[in-house]
Amino acid sequence: MYKTTKIRIRNWGDFRMKLFGQTIHTLERALNYSALRNETISNNIANVDTPNYKSKDVVFKDMLHDAMKNNLQAKRTNERHLPFTSANDAFQVITRKNTAYSHNGNNVDIDKEMSNSAQNQIYYRSMVDRLNGKFNTLQTVIRGGR
Amino acid sequence: MSIFHGFNINASALTAQRLRMDVTSANIANAHTTRATINEDGTVEPYRRRMVVLQSNGNDFKNYLQRARFGTQQGNNGVRATRIIEDQEPFKPVYDPAHPDADETGYVYYPNVDPLKEMVDMVSATRSYEANVTALNASKDMLLKALEIGR
Repeated sequence: MYKTTKIRIRNWGDFRMKLFGQTIHTLERALNYSALRNETISNNIANVDTPNYKSKDVVFKDMLHDAMKNNLQAKRTNERHLPFTSANDAFQVITRKNTAYSHNGNNVDIDKEMSNSAQNQIYYRSMVDRLNGKFNTLQTVIRGGR
Repeated sequence: MSIFHGFNINASALTAQRLRMDVTSANIANAHTTRATINEDGTVEPYRRRMVVLQSNGNDFKNYLQRARFGTQQGNNGVRATRIIEDQEPFKPVYDPAHPDADETGYVYYPNVDPLKEMVDMVSATRSYEANVTALNASKDMLLKALEIGR
């Protein structure tokens, strides 16, 4: 007679969380933000001469901070209820309407956009660098430190 | 104050210098414009030379309030073009009775634009722009180098 012992992992989410931590998830979101921002900046530069075009930007950091704190949760009794913060869109594209740069209603500041682009590239690189660092750590663990 | 603060400072200066360049171009282009503004009574006035007023960005109310309340200061926040003012130097009279904008004494008033000043301003704006590009590239290289720490 055999006696079977079942080991049940209650929640795979928790298990995964402990192995990878929150870091990769956070970095992934940061990369998504950076990619979207790059797209937005390219769009601004492309429309540098378009009359009445207003420059756009992606806001993320404040909202990331709020999302990380996560201290205010909406009580949702139905899945169709809107949560206070949603994990998927921790950033959004905003339009800057409060500045004026040229007479044709366009407010793209090419110098600002170029510097934002350089800034964004460095941000992206540093996020990729951290992600690689994280993977290397895991790989070291898998190889048993050898 | 983030690690990209230097970028924003230099970017504001780039914008300001580009505006200086634009204004200088407008001055040179209008060096002989005798009908820049038309008054309500139908008289015309020549173009007046324009100048950009630059101001440090930290001089706003928010900054002063913060300094008074917390003793902290967000210094060196870059530069901002606050106004474009008109040069109040007198216009240059030239005797030319055949000109349509000559007055009853036969003098035409030309703009108070001095090409020499404009050239100096132009070179100054160009050099400042270049200096800011260099500074911006330097901060960029520093940050990229920082990514190589511990590699």
